Amino acid sequence: MATESTIQLVNQIFIDKFELDASALTPDKKLFDDLELDSLDIVDLVSGLQHSLGISLRDNKELLQIRTLQDVYELVEKLLAEHPELKDMARK
Amino acid sequence: MRPRIVITGTGIVSALGNTRHELFEALLRGESAIRQCPDWEDRISGSSCILAAPVDVSPEQVKSISRHNRRSMGPTALFAALAARSLVSDAALPQEMLASGRLGCIISSTLGSASEIYTSAAAIVQGCLNDLSACEFFKIASHSAAFNVANLLGICGVQLSPCSSCASSLQSLGLAYEQLLLGRQEAFIAGGSDEVAPIVLDFFRLLHALADAPDLLPQQQSRPFDTRRSGLVVGEGAGLLSVETLDFARGRGATPLAEIIGYATNCTGSQISQSDRHSIARCMQTALDDAGLSPADIDYISAHATSTTAGDREEAAAIREVFGDKVPVSSLKGQLGHTMGASGTLETAVVLEMMARGLILPNSNLEQTDEDCAGLQLLRSPLDKHVDIVLKNCIAFGGVNATIILKRL
Repeated sequence: MATESTIQLVNQIFIDKFELDASALTPDKKLFDDLELDSLDIVDLVSGLQHSLGISLRDNKELLQIRTLQDVYELVEKLLAEHPELKDMARK
Repeated sequence: MRPRIVITGTGIVSALGNTRHELFEALLRGESAIRQCPDWEDRISGSSCILAAPVDVSPEQVKSISRHNRRSMGPTALFAALAARSLVSDAALPQEMLASGRLGCIISSTLGSASEIYTSAAAIVQGCLNDLSACEFFKIASHSAAFNVANLLGICGVQLSPCSSCASSLQSLGLAYEQLLLGRQEAFIAGGSDEVAPIVLDFFRLLHALADAPDLLPQQQSRPFDTRRSGLVVGEGAGLLSVETLDFARGRGATPLAEIIGYATNCTGSQISQSDRHSIARCMQTALDDAGLSPADIDYISAHATSTTAGDREEAAAIREVFGDKVPVSSLKGQLGHTMGASGTLETAVVLEMMARGLILPNSNLEQTDEDCAGLQLLRSPLDKHVDIVLKNCIAFGGVNATIILKRL
């Protein structure tokens, strides 16, 4: 279960970069089919995550498995668990 | 026998109106798009008074283009996109025609987007290129306006982008004309777009090309052919025209606004920052030859004249050589500023309105004709005249000239 701060961090990226309304951002939403993102948007999503978390995701293979918003939350939770020093940055 | 090529509609974005009717009326009322831009004063070095003729696009207009299409657009492409939608309505271009592969898109500009080039360069210098969107390159690519309009409208025919600074849009129109004569397509959306940004003003300032007369009001600073002219004022916007073979236009029930009967483009080959009277004269004569006309057949010349000392002088000399003082001449840049890559077709949209109404708009701020520009019939007030045939010039950096001749139908 993703924490509220993780959800907020991820959702803000979607709101800022893709002009989506917060009300549309539910965990079950599929990125391509429901939120209408495409491959260029995924590049920007990764860029947004890198900027918010302060780490490079360039070689992160798990990004290729992302299909839903829940997948993004879980990936960020996993990254924060692997890099405890990022938790303070993510909360900012 | 070569096909007849006609203009069937216009789509514009300008500081004084977003239809050719609105723009014509504003110019007729004497309105000026030129104003001070104090917000830019800290961005432009060495200038105490920043003048430009910017366009105001509302957030609603911007959002009217979906994020999916808009994400690859800098202001130049955005203006072109808004103008393209307006053109589709004005010319009643059906979607099946746009997507048929028989309609092409020739749109150009000075740069893909000056402001986005600056943003990208700043990000590189500051080491934060990774913060830019994946779509940033598409905003700055030189053919950004063309491919963004093509993607917005589903156009899958010929796509070209003859980027040539201030001759961009007229070369686009001329290229569409030539492509249609060759039978490559049945119709085109053709024209140009451009944006003003602090970096653009900086480049013109480096060349000492900007108007800078502290004793004049902003709206008095752009004064083509006038003895007190000191330089140009940069503007922005977009001007797109639908161009079709006459047969195709009639077949779909479109009403032609004018016929393109002559076109020429050349260059001076000896100077990169300006053209010269000899090549300009040659260009106009070549366009006349293409149209099978003599100078006496021209009813009005829509000059390029940007209010620079050398540019106005050379164009005036060329017009004097070919036409003498027999043809009324005016430039619209006294009120609109110099919209650069958009200027040719944006001003042509106004010319179409002059032809329809039989009323020629004059030179603004022409109080005393400079002696270097003497010997022409330079209009200082609107002229009621039946206008059948018009010659339109564009002259650009690189020493590029373009001339198009239109005939009223």
